[in-house]
Amino acid sequence: MLRFVLRRCILVLPSLFGLLLVTFLLIRVVPSDPAMALAGDAATPEQIERLRQQYGLDRPIWEQFAVYVGKVATLDLGESAFSRRPVAVDIAQRLPATLALTFCALAISVFVGVPLGVIAGLTHNAWPDYLLRVFSVLGIAVAAFWFAIMLQLLFSMELGWLPLRGELSPTMQRPPRVTGFMVVDALIAGRFDVFTDALRHLVLPAVTLSLGGLATIVRFTRAGVLDTLQQDFVFYERAMGYRRRRLVWIYVLRNSVTATVTQIGLLFGGLIAGGVVVEAIFDWPGIGSYTVQAILTGDRQVMLAVTLLVGTVYAVVNILIDLVHGLLDPRLMERA
Amino acid sequence: MSGPVLGRRKAGALVAGAAIAGTVAAGTLRTASAADASTFVSGFGLPANLDPHQVYDVPMQAMMLNAYDNLYRYQNDPPQIVPWLAESHTVTPDGLVWEFKLRSGIKFHDGSPMTSEDVVYSFRRMLALGLAPAGAFLKILKPESVTAVDPLTVRFKLETAYAPFFAAIPSISIVNPRMIEPNVKSGDWGKSWLASNGAGSGSYRIVPAGYRPLEYLDMEIFDDHFMGWAHNPKPVRKLACRPTRETSTRVLALLNGSLDCTDNNLPADQVAQINASKIAYVQKDMVMRIFIIRMNNTKPPFDNLNARLCFAHAFNYMGFINDILGGYATRDPYPMPDNLWGIPKDAKGYDYDLKKAKEYYAKAVAQGAPMKRPVELHVQSENEQSVQGAQLFQSDLAQIGINMKVVGNIWSNLTAAAAKPDTTPDMWVHWVSTYFVDPENWVGQMYDSQFHGTWKASAYYKNPEVDTLLRKARTTIKQEDREPLYQEAIRKIMADSPDIWVYNSMQLQGLNKRVKGRRFCTVGQGAEMRWITLDG
Repeated sequence: MLRFVLRRCILVLPSLFGLLLVTFLLIRVVPSDPAMALAGDAATPEQIERLRQQYGLDRPIWEQFAVYVGKVATLDLGESAFSRRPVAVDIAQRLPATLALTFCALAISVFVGVPLGVIAGLTHNAWPDYLLRVFSVLGIAVAAFWFAIMLQLLFSMELGWLPLRGELSPTMQRPPRVTGFMVVDALIAGRFDVFTDALRHLVLPAVTLSLGGLATIVRFTRAGVLDTLQQDFVFYERAMGYRRRRLVWIYVLRNSVTATVTQIGLLFGGLIAGGVVVEAIFDWPGIGSYTVQAILTGDRQVMLAVTLLVGTVYAVVNILIDLVHGLLDPRLMERA
Repeated sequence: MSGPVLGRRKAGALVAGAAIAGTVAAGTLRTASAADASTFVSGFGLPANLDPHQVYDVPMQAMMLNAYDNLYRYQNDPPQIVPWLAESHTVTPDGLVWEFKLRSGIKFHDGSPMTSEDVVYSFRRMLALGLAPAGAFLKILKPESVTAVDPLTVRFKLETAYAPFFAAIPSISIVNPRMIEPNVKSGDWGKSWLASNGAGSGSYRIVPAGYRPLEYLDMEIFDDHFMGWAHNPKPVRKLACRPTRETSTRVLALLNGSLDCTDNNLPADQVAQINASKIAYVQKDMVMRIFIIRMNNTKPPFDNLNARLCFAHAFNYMGFINDILGGYATRDPYPMPDNLWGIPKDAKGYDYDLKKAKEYYAKAVAQGAPMKRPVELHVQSENEQSVQGAQLFQSDLAQIGINMKVVGNIWSNLTAAAAKPDTTPDMWVHWVSTYFVDPENWVGQMYDSQFHGTWKASAYYKNPEVDTLLRKARTTIKQEDREPLYQEAIRKIMADSPDIWVYNSMQLQGLNKRVKGRRFCTVGQGAEMRWITLDG
């Protein structure tokens, strides 16, 4: 297994290099001027020219790329033209919030979506199946920003049960940063009030973000279950008198979720990239809002770093998915 | 003997689930208000970082007015420049040497006393970094020309006379070198450190670890501020800045009491809803922020005066102001805010008149201007107002046979494109805010040809007579001598119609009704917290 993982990791490197090269070149197509972005709105042409020289932006593009790759290799992602802070620091501060939101959304999608998909498959062409099919179509079709506003209106404004926005109430004192995950840091600091508050703030954004993934997982699980139920081993096990619950939730489910697991992998990367809207509406302090700001201000270093980060996350998740596939079906690992 | 009803794993899962559900439920309160009686939760946007010598824009003004002090400061509405850290100043008749006398007993947030050496350090740092706030000073002030005469007197020796120098003084914050110097890395003047920390003497100090760019900023009252707090017996003790990005969230947060104020760009269509609530209202203030449609005077047909006059008469100014902006702006036909000195009130601007526009169209065609050429108007896509204005313009131009395409763009691309005449769009839309209260901030930097290459001068207008008048106004010290020069320059500029000047802004800000004592000034736009009391 170790050899398998190592080989996949090595194969990821050229992919990431290719991603970096393409992104680096594409960003040059955008007419924004990084020196101007660095200098600020009130800058004179002389100030802008001085910064262009200082940051090597007057050098040939291949030279700029070589310098950038060299820096990335040492985890130096450059300086944000907007915040004028190291990009690596900015991302490190924000990534835990995005990961927390993504994991929660994914957990909701999986732990609700898989059972619902199984129920839909088992009740094929009966009312629960119809209901879940309508739900899954709606889940994919509904715009995240509309759903988010509806949740805010109901749970924050009308019922007053959950906070409207942010990661923590303004009057709450933040716990010392250890992991960067607010919920975890609150527990480490023994601050149950902060833990509660942070958890409440997480609910609405996580539910909003989970909707599309939930619908996708219901559809894929349902299709997998329907397919597996036609397999010979299911007839055999039924004939052998296996208990229905054990048959469905262990044997049928295990053979049905291969496609779902692949989807979960894709969803994870998609949720990180797609969290931009949710983060904006709920003022969630993740990398989504940081990325939007970078695009609006022409902050190239941030755009490059975030692209590289999302690419890396995709790559890592794909490796993990391959591993899970191998665990579900050891024959795949042997073939690989 | 029967076994347990639930297996160990199931029981564990149920307990964990119940704990989480209980935790969430335990924190559930009907009221959504996040603030207490002494905490002000602000929805103002945050500056790109916290270093007042690196960034200078409206969000930075709001931050630095609370965390830092300046030698002089703008106060009141209309803005007046008043002594702040300095108690007085003198200037030589030639306008070259300025001396500022500091008040005694001023303390920084770390308790150390402020002296003229700190002022010298601050100006030298600002000049060395050479970033946005330095723009007004780089050409006229050398670092070695800022000196400490004695512990309470600082002297500036300018390279050339520059009348807006005094108007620009409030844009420079005085920083504490004793906090910055230990954090300097590779001669960076502590740039990285101060981007995320505070080193000032202002009414509020930045809470350590209370800042994350774009996300939040926490400040607490500085009891030892040199102005004291006798004027406000119940001041805000904690300022929690929580910028909101989406209009809907911003309005909802104001209405459920979790924000005490929104930013200053509330859309006009939200006013009625907020004013109808029991908890909040919309405050309306005139600011000095003009809305302009730029024309690239180097590109045909905009190099033709009659063509420009045609476009200037084809914009439905009052329709835009009344129907799209809900009347929350004033028609400003000048290339400068109409509430600033230097305006020639006798000069008449252009009105919406399609008949006249057609006449100018015919004249332009007769002079060979390519009026049939499709032209582009670039707007800032994220700003709904600029898009709506462009669409209104497009429909009127279509009536007189001009094919205009509205192109969505973003600010950074537009300012980069405006660096050269051939990459500057045919037309584009932007505002010019108050960086300092002087005609130089608007007409001086927009129409003097020496500023070509900057976004403010992106009309690429060139008139040697105007250049002469503006340059003379810049080096003349007394306002009464400068005023006729600006008036004359503006008359000439308006006659040449290089751009389309639309309105001066009215700021719409949502405020919680518990906010009392707010003082408005166009610089900082009412964000100075030391005057505010929270009622209840």
